[in-house]
Amino acid sequence: MYNKKKYGIVGVIIAIIVLIILFTLTNIQNSKLSYFENIANKIVMPLQNGLTYLKNKVNGNSIFFANVNNLKQENENLQKKNTELEEKLRELESIKAQNESLKQYLNLKEKYSDYAAIPADVINRDISNYSKNIVINIGAKDGIREGMTVIAAEGLVGHIISVTDSTSKVQTIIDSSSSTSSLISTSRDSIVCKGILNNEKNLKAMYIPMDATVSQGDTIETSGLGGIYQKGIYIGTVEKVENTTDLTNRYALVSVAVDFKKLETVLVITNN
Amino acid sequence: MKKIIINIILVITFLVLYFLQSNLFTWFKIAGVMPNLFVILVLFIGLYSNKYMGVTYGIIFGLLIDLFISKKIGITAIMLGVVGVIGTAFDKNFSKENRITLIIMVVIATFVFELGKCLILYIINRVFIDFLPFIEILLIECIYNAILTIILYPIMRNLGNKVENEYKGNKILTRYF
Repeated sequence: MYNKKKYGIVGVIIAIIVLIILFTLTNIQNSKLSYFENIANKIVMPLQNGLTYLKNKVNGNSIFFANVNNLKQENENLQKKNTELEEKLRELESIKAQNESLKQYLNLKEKYSDYAAIPADVINRDISNYSKNIVINIGAKDGIREGMTVIAAEGLVGHIISVTDSTSKVQTIIDSSSSTSSLISTSRDSIVCKGILNNEKNLKAMYIPMDATVSQGDTIETSGLGGIYQKGIYIGTVEKVENTTDLTNRYALVSVAVDFKKLETVLVITNN
Repeated sequence: MKKIIINIILVITFLVLYFLQSNLFTWFKIAGVMPNLFVILVLFIGLYSNKYMGVTYGIIFGLLIDLFISKKIGITAIMLGVVGVIGTAFDKNFSKENRITLIIMVVIATFVFELGKCLILYIINRVFIDFLPFIEILLIECIYNAILTIILYPIMRNLGNKVENEYKGNKILTRYF
């Protein structure tokens, strides 16, 4: 009887201690725990890399079975397009140079005219249905730090929340706990884009100023407020404006430029 | 000796499930929702092994998952620990020989796990989660887990009985009287 009681108390005390440790762990910043993350990652990384490679291979193979004639035609078209684009690029290059010299005349410093970026592969997606973080295959060894901006060819992806030696976790902008301060590029009204829980293609643009005019097709870019993202990175376009009876409550659905389902390679901007 | 083998098998199963969940189940989504295999695994350990193994394995696996992918470290650990406790409690009060009771157990465990995780996240981050989409995802996830339990039930029972014999002594005779 006595023993049983004693053991019960011991059990309760152990449970309380474990809970307290866990809660302190949850409140420590991730960077302090990256040592353990490193160890955990070292165990799984080789397998993870191999599996991701396999998965990408299998994904690519479905294209292989497509009609060869179509591919030939496509190739021709693309080559034509390529030459056209190259010409345009040369034109733009000259325009850029001109622009830069003009800017120098005007004594304007464009801070984010060109980014130094490191390419990375997406090696892991979130296993939970409620968050949409991703893991990329570069880390502290490659000069990645917490808070760096991650972009894809199409637009903004997110920012880095924790770094280990060879991997880093990225919080995407479509995660429901993420909100991005952004602005409508035509009218320069600042809004906040939040992730939606059950939607990977849209963001909810909230806190639209009352006097602002938002219309379908407006482009949305980052505003640089808050200091997480640089200014002027493309996010997406306005898909639908939901007008409520109360003007302060209205919101817009922004369709994200990046296809997060098929996201495979990203760029990390290193000169914050 | 046998106990060591069982523990090694459990850890390997966890790693295999982790790779399945992060690579394979991104293809097999039902209405955009993945199942949660870890809940089934930890509940299984809680149901079939001894008193403390469910909680211990829940916390260890949860911490590993947190280190691999989560934003905050510890939340999955706490909730998987709770799932282990639920498993032990179910083992004391209900029979595991019935497929339907096992399915109901899995559904309840999934529900508690996700709801608890969401609540802790809310307390820490104060992030408002839309209630209706959350419940919708949760229900689909519960159904998916239940379907997987139906498929996995024979393996779970066979393995589980072996684990139970090792940890609780041979109970096969008492089970039928």
